[in-house]
Amino acid sequence: MELQEKLKILADSAKYDASCSSSGSTRKNNGSGLGNAALSGICHSFASDGRCISLLKILLTNCCIFDCKYCLNRKSNNIKRAIFTPEEICSITINFYRRNYIEGLFLSSGIIKSPDYTMQLLIKTVSLLRNKYHFNGYIHAKAIPGASPKLLNELGLLVDRLSANVELPTENGLKLLAPNKKSKSVTQIMEYVKNNKSKKFVPAGQSTQMIIGATKETDLQIMSKSSSLYNNFHLKRVFYSAYVPINKDNLLPSLEHPPLVRENRLYQADWLLRFYNFKITDLLDNANPNFNILLDPKADWALRHLDEFPKEINSCSYYDLLKIPGVGVKSAQRIISSRKNFTIHFEDLKRMGVVLKRAKYFILCDGKYAINSEFFNKSFIEKNVLLEEKNISSMNSEQLRLF
Amino acid sequence: MNNVYIYEGDFISLLNIILYLLKNNLKPNNIKTEDYFPSLFENIISLSIPNDEKIIDKITRSFGIKALILMHYVFLSNEENKELILYYFFRNALKYHHNIIYYRNLKCVSEVLRISGYIRHEVHKMKGFLRFKELEGNVLYAEMEPTNDILFLLSCHFAKRLKNEFWIIKDKKRKIKSVYDKKQFKILNEEEFQLIDPKESTNEQEYETLWKTFYKTIGIKERKNDRCRRNFMPKKYWKYITEVSEEL
Repeated sequence: MELQEKLKILADSAKYDASCSSSGSTRKNNGSGLGNAALSGICHSFASDGRCISLLKILLTNCCIFDCKYCLNRKSNNIKRAIFTPEEICSITINFYRRNYIEGLFLSSGIIKSPDYTMQLLIKTVSLLRNKYHFNGYIHAKAIPGASPKLLNELGLLVDRLSANVELPTENGLKLLAPNKKSKSVTQIMEYVKNNKSKKFVPAGQSTQMIIGATKETDLQIMSKSSSLYNNFHLKRVFYSAYVPINKDNLLPSLEHPPLVRENRLYQADWLLRFYNFKITDLLDNANPNFNILLDPKADWALRHLDEFPKEINSCSYYDLLKIPGVGVKSAQRIISSRKNFTIHFEDLKRMGVVLKRAKYFILCDGKYAINSEFFNKSFIEKNVLLEEKNISSMNSEQLRLF
Repeated sequence: MNNVYIYEGDFISLLNIILYLLKNNLKPNNIKTEDYFPSLFENIISLSIPNDEKIIDKITRSFGIKALILMHYVFLSNEENKELILYYFFRNALKYHHNIIYYRNLKCVSEVLRISGYIRHEVHKMKGFLRFKELEGNVLYAEMEPTNDILFLLSCHFAKRLKNEFWIIKDKKRKIKSVYDKKQFKILNEEEFQLIDPKESTNEQEYETLWKTFYKTIGIKERKNDRCRRNFMPKKYWKYITEVSEEL
């Protein structure tokens, strides 16, 4: 089989993995080698779906002994199968990297023969890249569930990031759609990665992915799962991937479009939990287990807690600033550093990156409300915020993404 | 008459002129390079002031390294009145010292922050979007037409990343090239450095085709979103981006 065709097959099989980040590693050029890692990560291109391309995202092989219902590469699918040799992967990676097409390699694989055998192939490839070609760029590898800890350690010492996909938020979902996969084998990997304290082991940390909309879990269940993953295993990222119907199976839902808005809401909430000091219980509960599709989770929260507003920009705490719709982490930091030196007025806020048309309903500047204070009531604000949200979403007839 | 002061076109000479103007209480209506074409009411003034490099240390000491970096970024920008903005920034920095960068309510500070952010953004984008071709003799060659003069900042990045390669980056708009010889890079103009009849290496087409195949394959059809793609990868860069240039 020609290299061209192999690449096509094995990139096609890899594309449903949402992870693309190349950040978090400070790997330096060791002197004689090629490349280094950029702490902030670099996007090299954007695909037709608007997602960033940072890494050469491929499978080593799409042969698989598993039969997960949602997966293109499941055993029962009659598709063309291919396998890269380690040398082939190296030469593509090196040549793409030198031309500045990519930031590094994201290597995953179907399970061929056994987890350990697959893992050994991954190690062989990555070790060739690091030791023979002296490649210092970013490498993200998938850990194969069920592989032995010794191999996990070996792979982890060569790569920047390791990940194992949870795939579905609950054990039941997994039993239904991925009968060969045990959630225990995934948590074992995460546990191992968390506890390996060697500095050279997985310097950019671990991440995982969940498929959204293939099973019936609520947003509350999904967020609880990711929150426990962040807390228990110190994950760097949980990725959410809207389910794309590839296979026909009566266990799978028949969707016309992938649930992209829902995916976006989950990312927004994920950010709120990690950087904005929100708790899941602030956002969702058993009475409201799913996010409002019409409003982002922060604005939705603010409208339900209008008694906490308006907040005075010049005196409220950093965490209170973060609760204001239209104020992000950066603009909150700017407000803090500026107000030590001068009193902030409305016209200053725009220059600090605050989205004023969103924030204006929720703030006071030096005691003043931006519009007539009679209008500080739920129905007025809700109407206006919704109107604006509608404008945004009609502009992006599909949906924004957040990676 | 409006006084327009002339500087030599480099960062150090601009800083020296500004310091001189401030010390002597001279208020410029603008500060421009020699090739500036004055209007009827403008009076061109050339001062002969020594290009003192110590000014960099002075600024770092009194305003902080952050302020110096911001000023340098503004200098590299395409902004029309960048020299005047820097003059006002300098003037206020003499008053607020290290705290100057927090005075966002001053127009010159918010302008400096806005413009420098724009440069930083473009450098970051180009770190990803620049595309090298392999020429005969194992030289990597890239062309670009960035909005701002980012060749120096970009070269610093690639000098670390492609440390053991020969590479050339050409800014076609400004007609300058950065040439790296595995030790250091130099920024040279057309007279100083010419590539004579460059030929692509024998492998080049193969890898370009592989890359285009990868690019086409990796997008998910069901999620197609052209608007989003253009937001992140503006069309003005496409001409030199291997995988999308044909879509133009």
